[in-house]
Amino acid sequence: MEYKATLRLVYLRFIVFISCCVTTCALAAPVYAETIHDSVGTHHFEQTPKRVAVLAWELAEQVIELGVVPIAMPEVQQYQQWVVKPSIPITVEDLGSRDEPNLEKLMQLKPDLILIGYPQSDIKEQLEKIAPVLYFNSYSKDHDNVEAVIWGFKELAKLFGKQELAAKKLADMDARIKFLGKELQQAFGAPLPKVTTLRFANTTSVYLFGDNSISQYVLKKMGFNPALPQANSQWGVTQTRLRELRKVGEGVVLYFKPFEQEDKLRTSPLWNAMPFVKVNHVNSVASTWTYGGAMSIGYVAESLANSLREVAVKSTKIKLDKTVVMN
Amino acid sequence: MIQRYCFSLLLLLVAVFVYLQIGVDVAPQKQWRLLLGLESTSFSEIEFTYARLPRLVMAILVGLVMGLVGSLIQQITKNPILSPMTLGVSSGAWLALVIVNIWLPNLVADYSAGFAMLGAMFAMGLVILISGVRNLSGLPVVLAGMAVSILFGALTSAVILTHDQYARYLFIWGAGDLAQNGWDWVQWLLPKLIPLLVFVMAPRVLSLMRLGHEGAAARGLNVTAYILIFFVSGLWLESVVITAVGIIGFIGLLTPNIARRLGARTSGDELIYSALLAAILLVTTDGLSIFLSQFVSDLIPTGITTALLGAPALIWFIQRQFKAQDQVFFRLPASAFKLNTKIWSLMFFVLLVSLVISITVYRNELGWQFHWPNEFSWSLRWPRVLTAFVAGVGMAAAGVVLQRLIHNPLASPDLLGMSAGAILTLVLTTTFFGTSLNHFGPVVAFVGSLLTLGILLVLGRRHQFAPSTVILTGIALAALIETLVQFALIKGTEDTYAILRWLSGSTYRVEPIEALTLMVSVSIIFSIIVLSSRWITLISAGRGVALARGLNVNRSFVLLLMASALLCALVTALMGPIAFVGLIAPHMASLMGARSAQQQLLLGALLGGVLMLCSDWLGQQLIYPSQMAAGTVVALLGGTYFILLLLRGRMR
Repeated sequence: MEYKATLRLVYLRFIVFISCCVTTCALAAPVYAETIHDSVGTHHFEQTPKRVAVLAWELAEQVIELGVVPIAMPEVQQYQQWVVKPSIPITVEDLGSRDEPNLEKLMQLKPDLILIGYPQSDIKEQLEKIAPVLYFNSYSKDHDNVEAVIWGFKELAKLFGKQELAAKKLADMDARIKFLGKELQQAFGAPLPKVTTLRFANTTSVYLFGDNSISQYVLKKMGFNPALPQANSQWGVTQTRLRELRKVGEGVVLYFKPFEQEDKLRTSPLWNAMPFVKVNHVNSVASTWTYGGAMSIGYVAESLANSLREVAVKSTKIKLDKTVVMN
Repeated sequence: MIQRYCFSLLLLLVAVFVYLQIGVDVAPQKQWRLLLGLESTSFSEIEFTYARLPRLVMAILVGLVMGLVGSLIQQITKNPILSPMTLGVSSGAWLALVIVNIWLPNLVADYSAGFAMLGAMFAMGLVILISGVRNLSGLPVVLAGMAVSILFGALTSAVILTHDQYARYLFIWGAGDLAQNGWDWVQWLLPKLIPLLVFVMAPRVLSLMRLGHEGAAARGLNVTAYILIFFVSGLWLESVVITAVGIIGFIGLLTPNIARRLGARTSGDELIYSALLAAILLVTTDGLSIFLSQFVSDLIPTGITTALLGAPALIWFIQRQFKAQDQVFFRLPASAFKLNTKIWSLMFFVLLVSLVISITVYRNELGWQFHWPNEFSWSLRWPRVLTAFVAGVGMAAAGVVLQRLIHNPLASPDLLGMSAGAILTLVLTTTFFGTSLNHFGPVVAFVGSLLTLGILLVLGRRHQFAPSTVILTGIALAALIETLVQFALIKGTEDTYAILRWLSGSTYRVEPIEALTLMVSVSIIFSIIVLSSRWITLISAGRGVALARGLNVNRSFVLLLMASALLCALVTALMGPIAFVGLIAPHMASLMGARSAQQQLLLGALLGGVLMLCSDWLGQQLIYPSQMAAGTVVALLGGTYFILLLLRGRMR
């Protein structure tokens, strides 16, 4: 299975490479014609799609970041509560749920392109009766999620003729993450602590971000190794008991908000007995969507950096206090 | 008796000792000193004092309460199969807590027990209203409990589905988890257990009640007042326990039965001994779940291990306790009508109207629209319309057969655990093999339904398919399976929502070819059932009659049961579980004057089809542009109708 997938990915990348070469040549020509690759194959477009309907949140994010306003997407309200950034223009129509988007409404809106993700992959045939469909499988156990969302972002940029914008945004993001990494490395000083991120399920169990999660990717890029490595999975999260966190030792633990029972956790003896809590190597991270598109990597980086900066300040204070006492 | 207690206490001590050693690296001597108040310093010592010990205390407390309340309910009602679980209490509390967590999250910390109590009381009140206060000793009250559980379950998943991100973390709680990380839950729970003191009075009152109400009244005892007090305090105790640790089934149902078997005769003895047994049982099962957690990466909540041990035990007890009840006769509800051509033509007219409406009337941005669908809309609508109608027919027919075979007008296909079997295999393949729900769904679900049916048949055979055994086995299986589904859901990934959506019974993803296949197969099975309606008539007249007429009762019973299960499996595999249609469509048919099995089959099928058709259409229009699954709508409609109907029957 995995071997096959890797092979397919290699194959796809090869095609992307070739097509990039082809498009660079084609740029000279005035007529728009693009060949776009998605998770299933190649699609030819004679003109830039104008009315795009997006059925998956991370893809909605991608096109909005590219400056393309979709005509419709599902669960607009929930997106505004959970994903937040980038915000959705009010003109975007609501299509109902992500699993069961309203097809009749979609038809009436007359899109000229429909973007779908994994949850809609099985209604692709029906959607193709409405408009051409591009399928981007962003999150899967069989590929690198970060590579997949960035690849999808670039393909979409090509489709909408926004390659320059996309390249600039990606480069800016890259530079920004590196900058944040340097800043944090300075703040912490050597040796850098190991960092692990998680969401709380309740006060006794957590979802750990591991391999294939955006959060861990960002941390590694900023120079921090995972304190509690977890095997690769579809969404990059593993559920486990609170007690497992003791293995973090004096590494850093960051947890994403919202977490309603924060106060309760702080009074828990077991939590307070954790080595990382004792040395103040723990902090919350502002509510950020961790299953998003390419640009969400940057948002995750900002939130993590803000949180880590606070941890660094606290721990240097402790170090300083210690030195003062010693003197 | 003293011997029995000594032995059980010893067992509890051993269980506690073993419990404290599993995965703990603090030596027993050190543990003892920690218990005596030594300050814990290392992490493992702190974990012992603040995670394992409170967990143990919690398990003992919860066990005691569950055993006590279970025994109390069983003694008051003289019904060995009643417990908060079978009375629908857990489903009520679960619904209430989901609502509070989603809409009033700031009240969760302080008032959740109160809300759980409200939900629990509401559910149990409904169940008792449905079966009648004087009818608590039989099987109908269990069926009523199941019906209310299904209704509340449908409501809960409708709420969760529309607010998935908020409800995500509730699943662990729903699966029953005893894990602690401090003493605060124990401190929270302890003062709320004060109503336990009321039960000091219980043994005297209950033993007097054994003399009968008159006898008790003659001794100057206000039986009703006492029963009310006991019930309310029992409910309160159960609600606080559910709030603290979530849903842990089976214990309250099982332990009083074990206690009686081991020789608990007087009511005081039974109460105390059940409580003791329940504590032992919960400590053991929780220890098991801690033990298992060491080997797998998944979270194993206590509710899972309890159900895994409890369900087989319950089935074993049922097998021993219930004998064939041949004296039950099928009673149709009284009807003011006589089934004549007028009613038939009216029904066909209604079918026609609902067909036209579901094809031509719909909502869009501009409001209500009424015109013939274009090609695209038609290609979307006809498979859904066909599936909904055929599913209704199938479930209704399955219901008629089942109700007549099992001699209980409250039976329905979902009660046999066949839908639950389909759900289980589906959920398990999705979570553990990572296949997409949408790709292999139907086949896998079908295998599950048939497996459950197989188990039912093997188990039922031993008692000549006595109705009570079949129903109770079905209920035990359904409860077990539900817990396993919760287990799969706590992973909380996106697949979870695909599963939940399938559980709500939607026609959205039905493809034309699937709709046609369903139609053909349901038509064939339905015709066979209609043709063999003589068997049904004979069996519902009683085993003796059927035997006298030369019918091979067991064989025809099994064949009919299989046909009914097959119908249920086909529908569930394609659409997901459809509740209540199998229960109310046959009932409505009788109300409209269908007397013979054949009439009831035909009219019931028609009614079931129309019901599903309307539900599917309503579900697509109600919360436009989102859609509600037909299964959810029909559960809400059917459940409400059913409860109103029973209440009206009670008023008369």
